[in-house]
Amino acid sequence: MALLFPQSPRADALARKYGYDPWLVSRFLQYVPDVERFLEKMEKKPTQYIRVNTIKTDAPILERRLEEKGFALSPTALPEVFAVEKAPMSAGATTEYMLGHYYLQDLSSCMAVEALDVKEGQKVLDMAAAPGGKTTLIAQRMGNTGCIIALEPSEKRARSMSFNLARLGVFNTCVCRMDGLDAERLGRFDRVLLDAPCSCEGVIAKDPTRKTSHAPEDVDYCSSRQEKMLEVALRVAKPGGIVVYSTCSFAPEENEAVVESVAQRLGAAVEPFGHGEQGLDSFGDRKFKTGKNTRRFYPHLHDTTGFFVARLRA
Amino acid sequence: MMHRNPARDERTMINRALALWGVFDALKDAAFVIREDGKSRQACLVTPELEAAVAGLEPLYCGLAVGDLAKHFSPTMEGADLFARLSGGGKYYVAVGENAEKLVLYGRDVMGDSVTNAASDIGENELVIITNRAGEAIGVGRTRFAGKLMTQKGKITVTTLKDAGRYLREEDGERQAKMSRSPRRRRS
Repeated sequence: MALLFPQSPRADALARKYGYDPWLVSRFLQYVPDVERFLEKMEKKPTQYIRVNTIKTDAPILERRLEEKGFALSPTALPEVFAVEKAPMSAGATTEYMLGHYYLQDLSSCMAVEALDVKEGQKVLDMAAAPGGKTTLIAQRMGNTGCIIALEPSEKRARSMSFNLARLGVFNTCVCRMDGLDAERLGRFDRVLLDAPCSCEGVIAKDPTRKTSHAPEDVDYCSSRQEKMLEVALRVAKPGGIVVYSTCSFAPEENEAVVESVAQRLGAAVEPFGHGEQGLDSFGDRKFKTGKNTRRFYPHLHDTTGFFVARLRA
Repeated sequence: MMHRNPARDERTMINRALALWGVFDALKDAAFVIREDGKSRQACLVTPELEAAVAGLEPLYCGLAVGDLAKHFSPTMEGADLFARLSGGGKYYVAVGENAEKLVLYGRDVMGDSVTNAASDIGENELVIITNRAGEAIGVGRTRFAGKLMTQKGKITVTTLKDAGRYLREEDGERQAKMSRSPRRRRS
């Protein structure tokens, strides 16, 4: 059950000021550092990032071409990702975008693939793949070798994903219309990415309706499904293989609690990862032994959308 | 939607196309699967690992669709992109200038004034890959003239059949889908 906290005058005041449901702000006060700065940051347009598609071009070449068009880019923690500081036109309307030289993708989202540590020739499962941003990054990190099985239950979203795969020149991937919970019939994989469907608390800056559109029951529903999906992810990983679990939620029930519960049940190790803030080691009366190795990304600290990443070794 | 291994005549058609577009050496050992939906067939480039993994699955999409197979092989936009990157040009590649590039990306035809490079032995009614000055594929078209007449001023010399901007227009939903359905065609 999603943990609720007694409402406080501070939580009520912040909820009123920024237009949130009070239960949500009461929870943020328990697990988000520097809440007021966080809420202020969520009111601002998020920084836009572009990820260079190294299947088609190189970072310095793309950087030069975009700068000639008046873009100003700045480097990030990942070599193929740039923050867009100035854009004379929509970053989704340039010739280079149409030709698939880059993809618009938040830095935090790329971190899930960084944690996956893919190698050329591997067999990879992406359990909830559309619209394909992480899938295409995996493909380029594998040098378009090996194979990626991408699962997406919605045909419409799969079609949209196929446009992205085609535009970016990916040929090591197939898209199957399948729920990630049914993945056990697909065999075993060297790497498994589970970017789990979640309550999306981390993208409130992009979608402010999330301030009031979800309820504690949604967190419960998501966490229950996430546990089942992570179990499947670990079962389909080869022994010694890596499973990356990620969400764009801040809710501990969808993050540290899911990882702790499944890792303990299936005997998986949670490995440290060198980016972001350390995950929570407790929430309410729950303790998370594995929390310190998980990672959180906060908009006001990392200038990304809110994100959670855990790397598990099967 | 079905994906299967190419029949012998299909593989022959693919190989001939690879030779025509100057990428036979680069792709002669590559694996392909055929995507078939009863009405159309596409040749999809796949990795050997993907070719093996896909057996027994029923994927909606598999690999990179590089060409439509009918009576002849016609490169898709992503096939054109791949061929241009691997070949570095050739007889069936027509280069255009910067202004024309933008217009081709809106689906417009190519004026002879805009052609910066075309093979002197190119024929009329040939399928060509339209590239920008950097040699990147921006469209697939059909020539209306042969040889030196390709650069004549004031006339459309290449009809644009496919362009790299189409994906964006289709992906962006109803408004842009409406634009792509518009029969209006302007000169570049």
